Amino acid sequence: MKDYFSLQLRLTNRKLQDAGMPPLVGYLLLTIAFIGLSLFLFYKSNYAPYIYPFIALSFITPLSEVRRNEFLKTCFGDKKYRTIRLLENLAVSLPFTLFLLFKVEFIVAGALVLVSLALAISNFNTQLQFTIHTPFGKKPYEFATGFRGTYLALFIAYALAIIAVSVSNFNLGVFALLMVFAVTLSYYAQPEHEYYVWSHSYTPTLFLLNKIKTAILYSTFLAAPLALLLCAFFFNQTYILLVIVSAGYVYLGCIITARYSSFPHEMGLAQGILLALCIVAPPAAILILPYFFNRSVERLQPILK
Amino acid sequence: MIEIQNLSKSYGSKQVLNDINIRFEQGKVYGIVGENGAGKTTLFRCIAGLENYAGNITSSTQPLKNHLGLLLTDPFFFSKITGKEYLQLLCNARNITITDMHSRNIFDLPLEQYADTYSTGMKKKLALTAILLQQNQYFILDEPYNGVDIQSNIVITEIIHKLKSLGKTVIISSHIFSTLSDTCDEIHLLKNGQFSMSAGKDGFSLIENEMKTSGVGNKLERLLLQ
Repeated sequence: MKDYFSLQLRLTNRKLQDAGMPPLVGYLLLTIAFIGLSLFLFYKSNYAPYIYPFIALSFITPLSEVRRNEFLKTCFGDKKYRTIRLLENLAVSLPFTLFLLFKVEFIVAGALVLVSLALAISNFNTQLQFTIHTPFGKKPYEFATGFRGTYLALFIAYALAIIAVSVSNFNLGVFALLMVFAVTLSYYAQPEHEYYVWSHSYTPTLFLLNKIKTAILYSTFLAAPLALLLCAFFFNQTYILLVIVSAGYVYLGCIITARYSSFPHEMGLAQGILLALCIVAPPAAILILPYFFNRSVERLQPILK
Repeated sequence: MIEIQNLSKSYGSKQVLNDINIRFEQGKVYGIVGENGAGKTTLFRCIAGLENYAGNITSSTQPLKNHLGLLLTDPFFFSKITGKEYLQLLCNARNITITDMHSRNIFDLPLEQYADTYSTGMKKKLALTAILLQQNQYFILDEPYNGVDIQSNIVITEIIHKLKSLGKTVIISSHIFSTLSDTCDEIHLLKNGQFSMSAGKDGFSLIENEMKTSGVGNKLERLLLQ
């Protein structure tokens, strides 16, 4: 069992190294990001104590996947397998539980621990067995596949926007709109398989422009209902919404070009830092976007020549 | 026509392809055979432009990759992409518009289901359908018969015959020799990074015998009798 956990640690370290950072730095950055995002959520929304456990569960439920657990059962005996599952679920829920305790949300923290333990004794298919139809089938794949993996997050964003309107909380509405864009940005986090890039009969520039065009079109499709709703109820703040939507488009452009600037590898530390810089200081995108674009053209040239 | 001149490829110190010279003519079917690791897939990846290499690969239709359908041994599918979306993606990539996808579904695949839930054979058939819909001039089929049921095997063989009659160039690798002798005009044996034997229809049995001799030899005796 000790071997299993040290193997998991080695695999995690390897992933961080592949992303271009020493494991210790990676753990430090992840901790800072976790605390920062948690504080941001609790600062922005009164409903954070209820949203937060669901975010935790989205990390815990994949551990109950049937095939994974069948494999673990065949490797370890029943007793060891149960212990591993309990420890894994507790380990994943621990940071969330500690933060909830820090926020004096004892009941929610307790409920999260109980649900995590309950999930440790149940296995289920984490993927739905039926197909979720999307309006993005005409230009697959990022939005079609991404939507299927994140529809719950989008549902929450839409629900938050409705709550924002009903309680006249513009900030909550802004948070919901940002959430939609954050979700769509996640569709471009992973590198595309080289075969799919190779299949295109486009030049690198045209390939990238098509990707950005599709992303803007489809993100508008997801963000427009929410933005229009907020516009209707917070008309005086329309310019802020326009700035957010425009920034969302720019970030989409940045993440798409950042993704291909390290093609065929995953984005590394350098891309991560530049993207973070774009978020912290949006005007930096004026320089960073063209930089990523040119780098992407160079990286795509050999395969789309 | 695809012409390969002095093609060499190595990974670090390991030489995988060593001075390959071959010409693939229009309207012909070519079989590439060899042991696992002989370099068949590397050769295909070089032709497709997915690998850097030394030497020249030219074709009568430029750029070659935009007219080439590549069926990988183990096609990759994104999680949660449906069969229909996969076909749409590959057609969009070549600016091909297909109005009735379902009537083109000759393998009766469940196109509304996620492709990553398909069996090995179904994935292969979906990937093959995609490159056929792309209306390519050249086809590289790396192990097209792998994991495919017997009826679909027959359909794939017929597809290859049809492609040939349409003047397309088809290059196939397969570990099932009979499927190659049914479809190919020429078979080339890849060994130690070079074509050690090449034969037209009359010489297929020689290549098969050579493969048996070098592949099996006295290995069974060594395994079973010691």
